[in-house]
Amino acid sequence: MAREECKALLDALNKATACYHHLVLTVGGSADSQNLREELQKTRQKAQELAVATRAQLTAALRDRGLGAEERAEFERLWVAFSGCLDLLEADMRRALALGTAFPLHAPRRPLVRTGVAGGAAGVAARALSARSLRHEAEGDFDVDDLRELEREILQVSEMIHDMEMKVNVPRWTVQARQTAGAELLSSAGASSVGAVSVQERTGPCDLSKALAATVFSAVLLAAVALAVCVAKLS
Amino acid sequence: MERVVVSMQDPDQGVKMRSQRLLVTVIPHTVAGSDVVEWLAHKYCVSDEEALHLGALLVQHGYLYPLRDPPSLVLRSDDTPYRFQTPYFWTSTLWPAAELDYAIYLMKKNIRKQGALVGHEKEHCDQLHRKLSHMWDLVVMQAREQLRAAKQRRKGDRLVIACQEQTYWLVNRPPPGVPSILEQGPERSFCAAEGVQMIKNTEFYKREMERCRKALTRARVKSSVCLEAYLKFTSQHGPHDPIVSGCLPSNPWVTDDDTYWTMNAPSVAVPTKLRVERWGFSFQELLEDPVGRAHFMDFLRTEFSAENLSFWEACEELRHGGQAQIHATADAVYRQFLAPGAARWVNIDSQTMERTLRGLQQPHRYVLDDAQLHVYMLMKKDSYPRFLKSAAYKDLLAEAVIPPDAKRRVFPFMRKPPHSSPSPALLPASTSGEPVAVASGPECGDGDT
Repeated sequence: MAREECKALLDALNKATACYHHLVLTVGGSADSQNLREELQKTRQKAQELAVATRAQLTAALRDRGLGAEERAEFERLWVAFSGCLDLLEADMRRALALGTAFPLHAPRRPLVRTGVAGGAAGVAARALSARSLRHEAEGDFDVDDLRELEREILQVSEMIHDMEMKVNVPRWTVQARQTAGAELLSSAGASSVGAVSVQERTGPCDLSKALAATVFSAVLLAAVALAVCVAKLS
Repeated sequence: MERVVVSMQDPDQGVKMRSQRLLVTVIPHTVAGSDVVEWLAHKYCVSDEEALHLGALLVQHGYLYPLRDPPSLVLRSDDTPYRFQTPYFWTSTLWPAAELDYAIYLMKKNIRKQGALVGHEKEHCDQLHRKLSHMWDLVVMQAREQLRAAKQRRKGDRLVIACQEQTYWLVNRPPPGVPSILEQGPERSFCAAEGVQMIKNTEFYKREMERCRKALTRARVKSSVCLEAYLKFTSQHGPHDPIVSGCLPSNPWVTDDDTYWTMNAPSVAVPTKLRVERWGFSFQELLEDPVGRAHFMDFLRTEFSAENLSFWEACEELRHGGQAQIHATADAVYRQFLAPGAARWVNIDSQTMERTLRGLQQPHRYVLDDAQLHVYMLMKKDSYPRFLKSAAYKDLLAEAVIPPDAKRRVFPFMRKPPHSSPSPALLPASTSGEPVAVASGPECGDGDT
């Protein structure tokens, strides 16, 4: 059904935007590197593809005059969420451009700010692309070309937003969001468990320290239990 | 500030970095407060106190944040650890913090703390829910997704990013009672503004060229000429200025004696000498003064060129009159002054006349401007100098009145001064105690009580 497809596309776009936001946070900081810029590019290209697809679907659905009132309301809700998401994406892209220009990777007149973030963000980008992992295959001087690409893409996205506003007329004030104020907490329990599972799925260097802590703790616990048994036996 | 922060990052000359230990994770890139102060004092050769203040400003604006007690953004010059904020979250006026972003941040906090938002954050959250109710779906979705994306990172990174975001929102949406740092201080722009130029280069340069071309053709006046004119103005008007050279009967604001105002009223039978002298400074002064204009009109009547001044006055009326009367006024002016064979025909050169007549087909407020200017220049060059040399003017100068000084009271403390400010409802009464008002002219007599 069109509605389910639209919803799925919107969810994917949402995920990509969130991951992009997360990646842009670290531009210019100590985690900035060629890989990061490449991940940024892949994420935003994916986001743009999703945006184009969603827009086509939603425009087709909203232009259809034969929709019932309830369906129409549903689509309008999706439309508002979609345009908000696209605005967020565009804002993040602009900031990425400014930050990328301000902190060029090569020829560092401006060394990167040491913010304490040291790890790679490959996982984040992989999540955005719904891929298992990410291969980095960029050459040197990637960031300069990337910035030019980014400028062009920003213009494309702004044009898309402008087109959207012109073609489809959805007044924002008539849309009623479905989620109430406390809604996020109800399903957050499910979300956190999913998150925990996904964390445990990943093996990586950080888990070593966790494993070490776990073994030390269990050893201490065993020693305590043994002492208690001895004391119990002696007394 | 951004430059200072960036120069602190220099691996050789920057601030000494340490590492932070948290149970099992080690997070690098911490600085101690004392190191920051020392580095600032050394690099900019300032005293310790100033360096401390500078560092405190950096912390308040969110470029550095304390690790132990995040809500208090102060710089302590000891071992308290601090860390640098990521450039995405640097305070900048180009991207003020948006409500949607704040809503997403509060939502994330809510989810993480399982609904235990307190105080002002809860209020903000409710407010935003009302304001952005149509976007609330997006807010919830984004918050969830951002949390999930953050989980893909190492624990240390996650902590750092969370701290960064918290500091950013502490600076941009301070809790109640904390002064908002963003409301003070000069405008700061992100240093990279000059690099961000969208691909409109050709248009940008075309605009620049146009601007430079227009600037070349601007009329310029030499500053020496300007200054000469300025000096002449001040030296001429100096003796006429009541504040600079004192005003003659007495300053009404000081002595409550408004003889000065009554003598210099707009329509007075006998103008003061200073006023008459002022008419000689420039034609504009003469025209602006109603008494002067009346005398000039009389003079022009003797020379049979009074229609010039009448025409000028009619044009002024058109310019400053009401919009609804423009048609009627323009018609009246045409019939009286411009039509061939009119009663008071004004002598204007043929080009201006043609233009004016064409313009009168669609009259607007400024349609008679050209003609008015022509007549004005005519009067200024021709009639005005003759007026100044005429006998009428010289008579006026002779008749003009010099207000005498207010006589000082011999016994100032004998009686209560009778000129304590009269009620504005009464007529302007000149002081009764002063024996001097007699010479001030007839119009003051009726003011005497």
